[in-house]
Amino acid sequence: MLSREELERYDRQIMLYGFGEEGQEKLKKARVFIAGAGGLGSPISIYLAVAGVGNIRIVDHDKVELSNLNRQILHWQENIQKKKTDSAVVKLRKLNPDINVEGIAETITEENIARLAADADIIVDAMDNLPTRYILNKAAIDKNIPFVHGAVNGFEGRAMTVIPGKSACLNCVYHGVTVPQEKFPVIGVTPAVIGCIQATEVIKYITGMGNLLTDRLINYDALSMTFMEFTVKRDPDCEHCGKKQNR
Amino acid sequence: MSIELQISSVFARYAGNKTNITVNGNTVGKCFEDLFSQFPDLKKIFLDKDGNLMRAYDIYINGASAYPKEMTKPVKDGDKLHIVPVIYGG
Repeated sequence: MLSREELERYDRQIMLYGFGEEGQEKLKKARVFIAGAGGLGSPISIYLAVAGVGNIRIVDHDKVELSNLNRQILHWQENIQKKKTDSAVVKLRKLNPDINVEGIAETITEENIARLAADADIIVDAMDNLPTRYILNKAAIDKNIPFVHGAVNGFEGRAMTVIPGKSACLNCVYHGVTVPQEKFPVIGVTPAVIGCIQATEVIKYITGMGNLLTDRLINYDALSMTFMEFTVKRDPDCEHCGKKQNR
Repeated sequence: MSIELQISSVFARYAGNKTNITVNGNTVGKCFEDLFSQFPDLKKIFLDKDGNLMRAYDIYINGASAYPKEMTKPVKDGDKLHIVPVIYGG
């Protein structure tokens, strides 16, 4: 049941055709696990918080650095050297006091992912490296939890949504490829765009609206201001979701 | 065979500031050979020291993945090729 204040706060989205109070109730009950509180995690968590997602768990092991502030809009000058999760929780609770926000300052590993993602309705990939993205993807497949991938570099970004057992997964796209981990260039507007696409996918999944970005990889090139859509298919030999993995 | 090959804007500086390049060839590999003849600097971007496509790139033909054995895949007049780098930043 939505309170009078919630009905007013979310009035403009409750007005949406097909959304209504029912959609808002679904968001309120939802549990979203956001892996990363950086460039992507900032817009993802902000827009999910203001949309009224009732339970947000955000995980990041880093502390805020000055060089983060060109893009990580959850964090401000006053937060430098503070844990990103502490900074995030304070901001998100101020943005929307009605929701539950939990920050966990841990490194995501194969050992702790089951615990971190426990009871999540959806996992959002806002990481800054491929190995952890694969850990998230595999856990999502194993636990049958939808997964929303996003990544950026410079003026370029991409996103896709994975519905385990039904659509191509991240490993189907990248085939386990890893690349040397280097400091990457990025301008804040790029993760803003991609993070908002990811947050949109989460809202659509929870409310059951629209068509998800499944079996499609959307690629955003800001310099040419183009979106390209690539078709991706489930790889039957995929080490994460292929036939051999189905038990 | 006239094929439209699109590269990321990041690499345009190696291709005369172009992201859309017309190449000729009846396979992806032949198209790449033509690309490198036009813009030799791209060779060291996309190929490893053994002349193979680096694993950090995916090839799409008309929007569909060309994986695996991308270089052997046939293309025909009017097809569109995209070279998409693996990115991991957040």
